Amino acid sequence: MTRDHTTIEELLAVQALAGLDGDDVQTLAAERASHGDCEECSRLEAEFSETAGRLAFSLEPMPIDDAMADRILAESPASPVVAPEPATTVDDLGDRRERRVRGWQAAVGVAAVIAVLLVAVAVIRVDRTTAIAGASTTQRLVTFSGSGEGELAVAFTPGESGAVLWGSDLPDPGQDKVYEIWMIQDGTPVSGGCFRPQDGQVAMSVDASLEGTDAMAVTAEPADCPSSPSGEPVKTANLTLV
Amino acid sequence: MGMIDISEARDRDLLLRLRDRDEDAFRGLFARYAPTAKALAQRVVRQSHLAEEIVQEAFMAVWRNPEGYDAERGSVKSWLMGMVHHRAVDLVRREESYRRRAEDSIPEAMQEQVDHAEEVVQQVGLPEERRIVRAALDELPAEQRDVLTLMYFEGMSQSQIAERTGLPLGTVKSRTLLGMRRMRASLEGIER
Repeated sequence: MTRDHTTIEELLAVQALAGLDGDDVQTLAAERASHGDCEECSRLEAEFSETAGRLAFSLEPMPIDDAMADRILAESPASPVVAPEPATTVDDLGDRRERRVRGWQAAVGVAAVIAVLLVAVAVIRVDRTTAIAGASTTQRLVTFSGSGEGELAVAFTPGESGAVLWGSDLPDPGQDKVYEIWMIQDGTPVSGGCFRPQDGQVAMSVDASLEGTDAMAVTAEPADCPSSPSGEPVKTANLTLV
Repeated sequence: MGMIDISEARDRDLLLRLRDRDEDAFRGLFARYAPTAKALAQRVVRQSHLAEEIVQEAFMAVWRNPEGYDAERGSVKSWLMGMVHHRAVDLVRREESYRRRAEDSIPEAMQEQVDHAEEVVQQVGLPEERRIVRAALDELPAEQRDVLTLMYFEGMSQSQIAERTGLPLGTVKSRTLLGMRRMRASLEGIER
């Protein structure tokens, strides 16, 4: 059966220009979740994002302080934050299978960061997740990727505390297990709370700030919802893309 | 066309080298796109020092996490501009100052920046794409171009545009969709 993409296409076009707001943010998240692993949705999102990015090139470039590059390098000269992936050729970049592999490697990279930081950094615990009761208006929607089954997306308003998480077709995390959300802030995993999907579905608010969050990850954890991750991420989302 | 293919291939190569912490690759990417990123940020926030902060923040994010780029989702340059644009829009919305900025007329705002633009264009090497994107924008029906301009270059949300123009929200969304479809079709000839 062919799905109707009328609503999704319209909202994705607006989202690509950063114009989405109000109830439409949640509408898009719900539509995306209901479509599951939808290639057409991903294609539309990618194409509109590409088109939006190209609009910038209608502007005349402006002179910029050459020393800025030096300042950036000086501020972050250390070793890689995320484990580098194996070198690939330019041609490989477009290959779908390679992309899947890299997606998993990226997830493993996040796991490596978490594992390293567990040794060196104390994790700040934040408030636990509360049940959704009318998510607030948000402006950004980020979908998770990874080897785990199901779809997961988070919506939030930049600069404001809190986020809304949607998921569908998520497998049971296992007996006496829950899924735990982590915000990676300056390389430190900060818990965003735990959940167990009901019939594969989840819709909940996360009472934590995403300010300074570079990425999000989801791991399967013991039911007591620990303050430090013990498992590898099954899903990750890169917030630096938004 | 071939030239742009090579351009994107070079960008992807630079990004791969960034993963190995190649500082020269970072400088190359910066020299190539920071001037356009600055223009975009300044177009949205209208203040030079804030625009520079946004550019610095975005390129810092690239340097720290080049793995954030997914080739399946588009070109390197669009990815970069997306990061700059979202940061700029976040800033203007946080400050709630878009209303004042929106008073500026769109045609005036679209005028070329003064100074050494042409020199920088040559340096960056993207004049052909600039011409094509501008032509694609010019070919849009005015009502679609206006909505796209308000949303992308003014950083206004769909609701803000509806409020400002008096158009129904549904009309704003449909014009956005139609405009984006046309732009996409016009730019399809440009390889990533």
